[in-house]
Amino acid sequence: MMISTQLLCLFAAGALIIIGLFAAIFIDNIIKKVVGLSFIEEGVNLFIICLTYKEGGIVPILAPGMNVNWFAQNAAYPLPQALVLTSIVIGASTLAVILALTMFLYKKYGSLSAHEILNNKYDMGDEE
Amino acid sequence: MNYLIPLMVIFPIFAALLINLFGKHNKTIKILSFIVAIILPLITLFASYGLHFFGGHKPLIDTNITGLPTYITSTNLYSMHPAITYSFTPLTKVFIFIMCIIVFLSVFSYLTSEKKASGSFLFLVFMGTAAVSAMILSDDLFNMYVFFEIAALVQTGIVIASKAEDNYETALKYMILGSIGGPMLLLGITILLAITGSVNITDIAIIISTVLIKSPISKAVVLFSFALILFGWLYASGFPPFHVIKSSLYSKSESYGSSILQAMSLLTLVAFLIAMARMFYLINIFNGAILIVSIIAMILGVSMAVMQTDFRRMIAYLSVGELGFVGLGFGLGTKFSMTAGLFQGINEMIVTALLFLGLGSVVYLTNTSNIRKLGGLISKSESMAIMVLLGGFAMAGVPPFNGFRSKFMIIHAALLAGYPEVAVIAILISIATFFVFVKALHGIYLKPQPNDLEFVHDSIPKSVIFSVAVLTIMCLILGLYPEIVTVPISQALGGLII
Repeated sequence: MMISTQLLCLFAAGALIIIGLFAAIFIDNIIKKVVGLSFIEEGVNLFIICLTYKEGGIVPILAPGMNVNWFAQNAAYPLPQALVLTSIVIGASTLAVILALTMFLYKKYGSLSAHEILNNKYDMGDEE
Repeated sequence: MNYLIPLMVIFPIFAALLINLFGKHNKTIKILSFIVAIILPLITLFASYGLHFFGGHKPLIDTNITGLPTYITSTNLYSMHPAITYSFTPLTKVFIFIMCIIVFLSVFSYLTSEKKASGSFLFLVFMGTAAVSAMILSDDLFNMYVFFEIAALVQTGIVIASKAEDNYETALKYMILGSIGGPMLLLGITILLAITGSVNITDIAIIISTVLIKSPISKAVVLFSFALILFGWLYASGFPPFHVIKSSLYSKSESYGSSILQAMSLLTLVAFLIAMARMFYLINIFNGAILIVSIIAMILGVSMAVMQTDFRRMIAYLSVGELGFVGLGFGLGTKFSMTAGLFQGINEMIVTALLFLGLGSVVYLTNTSNIRKLGGLISKSESMAIMVLLGGFAMAGVPPFNGFRSKFMIIHAALLAGYPEVAVIAILISIATFFVFVKALHGIYLKPQPNDLEFVHDSIPKSVIFSVAVLTIMCLILGLYPEIVTVPISQALGGLII
């Protein structure tokens, strides 16, 4: 049995999300965590794209003289594509902020271990 | 078309960009920020209720297009929204107006207390105001997600812009968690898009309630998307398991920033809670899930607050716990309880801003927020001590303040809905909150002043006293005349959900 392109993409998206979650939660190195977070984000983007994939669909641009009903039945749904573009931009900005903070903290601690940098900060307020 | 509705979002964004442009000119950004902070509540006040369709794309009604999928044509969906829609109702007006008042008071206190204003901080404040206003106005899930991410970045930025110790660590932690919470929310929205063909909340709510709810398979898919959206909502609101990071975020910011941050979190919570209630109220576990999460937040918030010796963290935990009351109102699932929950949300926004600004003056005077190192500060400013005490009473639910009114309504609603045990928990949490405040205020203001306590400033800026006084008066007015907000909330809820 041949697996459809859509199903294959869905599996790939699911795999990316699970691998990303694993890296973000269990890996100590912040850079590897960030790569994991990026995997989650790209997995979700792939998921959006492949959910509304249309086998043999046409570009969703209504040309002059085109039959509206035929167009509505055959054109690919353009909304998810627009959403993915926005999502990519948001992801890039978030990633930039995380990496900038990581660089700053690496200079401060000389380490990329999340355990060393982040986990020793929860206390009951007696910081001084 | 009411152009003041999109202006509530566009104007602060434009102002933020302008302030960023003149970032190095101290006087210019101070004057500009002050003017913008005054105009923001006025726009909300003068805008008339209604809908705004972006690009002028009104809902498609009775189209002759036969190619629409059957799950749309076979439903009661008489119209479909092709563009982003903003809906301005009495409910959104109350929330955005209170938010703008808090922004004005915080910005006013900041501008008059600091010699050199930070352009970045003011940029973030106005961007955040625009983001949360858009979230509560929007009838479009993806638009809400975009502004949810902007709000998360703004909150991180406000913490980075502060001078608090370990602020970068807190910001990174928040961003990492946000990079999990955000995509999960987006995944939930995508699943809804896939099964309904729309990201408009009204369209989704109609399709779910008329078609999808009838089939067990599609109901399971809707349930899965609810779980994902709930996860994103927990992150944005600071509910468990994100309560610790949210409290850290509040405590690592300047007092002006904290008062705005908590208002932003609350508006995000309310916006997504209303959206979820509209879409998923027919799902059996919706009310139960919100109820359980809210009770856990209340218990964890107050029990973590009891253990704090840093009063900023203490208020931060208490404010997270108080958010549980808002969720409780929705979890009980009646119109009366939801009105009570939203009323509690408004009160929470005002009271927490009061406490952050009021107790921020202690940090301004002594440069410490450790209760063990403080004492005898009532001699420095009696009026501020009294107002903070009244704010504490309002949060704990002591009459005749607003907190008493909303908590009383929630407890009454719990009894009416047949949940006496929830009412008992709410009363116990209120008592514990009162205890925490008495302990903290005694430590800060009443116990003898330690010999080694040094003062950085001699007196509290008058602008801060003015801001806290305005917020105290608001607490009192809403306590004496709650119908000012409960009537519009109740009316708006009737049209939205019930």
